[in-house]
Amino acid sequence: MTNIETLKLNLGPQHPSTHGVLRLILELEGEKIISCKPDVGYLHRGMEKIAEKLTYIQYLPMVDRIDYLAGFFYSELLCENIEKALEIELSERVKAIRVLMLELNRIASHLLWIGAFLMDLGAVSPFFYTFRERELVLKYFEKVTGQRMMNNYFVFGGVRRDIFDLGDVKDFLKILKNKIKDYERIIDRNPIFKQRTIGKGILEPDIAFNDSITGVNLRASGVNLDFRTKHCLYKDYEFNPVVLNGKDSFSRYRARVLELTLSASIIEQTIEKLEQNGELKQTLIKPLGLKLPEGEYYSEIEAPRGLAGCYIKSTVEERPYRLKWRTGSYYAVNLLRKLLKGVYLNDAIAIAGSLDIILPEVDK
Amino acid sequence: MLKNIRGLLISMFTVFKHLFIRPVTLEYPEKKIVPPENFRGKPVLGNCIKCMTCTRVCPSGAINIQKNTFNIDLNKCIFCGNCAYYCPINCIKMSGEYELASSDKSDLNLVYDINKTGENNV
Repeated sequence: MTNIETLKLNLGPQHPSTHGVLRLILELEGEKIISCKPDVGYLHRGMEKIAEKLTYIQYLPMVDRIDYLAGFFYSELLCENIEKALEIELSERVKAIRVLMLELNRIASHLLWIGAFLMDLGAVSPFFYTFRERELVLKYFEKVTGQRMMNNYFVFGGVRRDIFDLGDVKDFLKILKNKIKDYERIIDRNPIFKQRTIGKGILEPDIAFNDSITGVNLRASGVNLDFRTKHCLYKDYEFNPVVLNGKDSFSRYRARVLELTLSASIIEQTIEKLEQNGELKQTLIKPLGLKLPEGEYYSEIEAPRGLAGCYIKSTVEERPYRLKWRTGSYYAVNLLRKLLKGVYLNDAIAIAGSLDIILPEVDK
Repeated sequence: MLKNIRGLLISMFTVFKHLFIRPVTLEYPEKKIVPPENFRGKPVLGNCIKCMTCTRVCPSGAINIQKNTFNIDLNKCIFCGNCAYYCPINCIKMSGEYELASSDKSDLNLVYDINKTGENNV
């Protein structure tokens, strides 16, 4: 036996296709990856520690920055926790508005992922097409909430202002339906894309379960687990979670495209609800001197990148004693250790991209 | 093989169609976006009553109220709009001004005279 020399390669932290600052320490034997060690923390901002210094209302705008592509989900979690603690019931209209915003946000997030994933594989045009459609969502957010990404729209007990211009959303859904067909034409039939994704990065359901993978990545491995079905906001909505059996990068891509249509169908149901009941009734909580009763609170929701959770421990002070976030991407990064073992280097980016890792969410 | 070529041709054709559509972007310095009504841009001050609510809801400590001055530090401001939303008399407003880049850091430290009324403060 001769000793084969291995090469240590740092992928990142400033690699354009790592979506932020992910560093993968790869050990290569020729072109083959023997081991992969993700190194996270380059984008650490101390979101959990900051919470202990700020009052709840001061912390609320920060929460959008945990995952800048899906900020609504995290502000929803914080608001939900506080509403749980103070036992406040939301009115139907507030719930419908929140679902509308969350699902639009999910569409925006998935659209960005489709573009960025294709960019990783070397296809540049789809990136512009998906950004063009995402822009319509962001424009609507800007109109209603005041900003494109850092929305700060949900408040404890309700929303900042009533929703308007639902016609824009309807127009967007019509456009989206046509554009999804376009994406399928460009991407799904492309032989180069198929060769680089079908059968690559196979994620077995039991590995996914053991590594706490949730969200689309899990459902693309054939497990029917969607936390929206259990969530209180989505009680009155009819939908079937997207479950695919492919287990590979391609089925993760397909699942996200199918989720676009799923979200669109949920939005259609919300629009019906919003048009029925006209007035916005909400009991807003006064932010100054807000103290939660002693205890521990936890809420969770299906975010675009898997299960997101927020844990608060309160000791009847204006600030939380401890606040912890559970984010889906963190577990997906850890999964790279297993998925990248034994694959070739040129597949590594395609597999890492298919898991939809967002680094601010990982590092918090 | 034939199937692959057909797939490629279909995707190329769909991309090719995009050559003939109108541009969706704006040529920025010449044409500017008109921000919507609720847009959260540069905060401007009206008649302040010194209730100090804004300093207490501000996440980054950008607002500093002294005896005669009202100071918003845009270096710290994250444009969350908490101050405008919780002001009891709506005297802080988030305006539509969004071109706030400056080569001098002190330009971003907005100092308003608290005794002057209206929006004619500097």
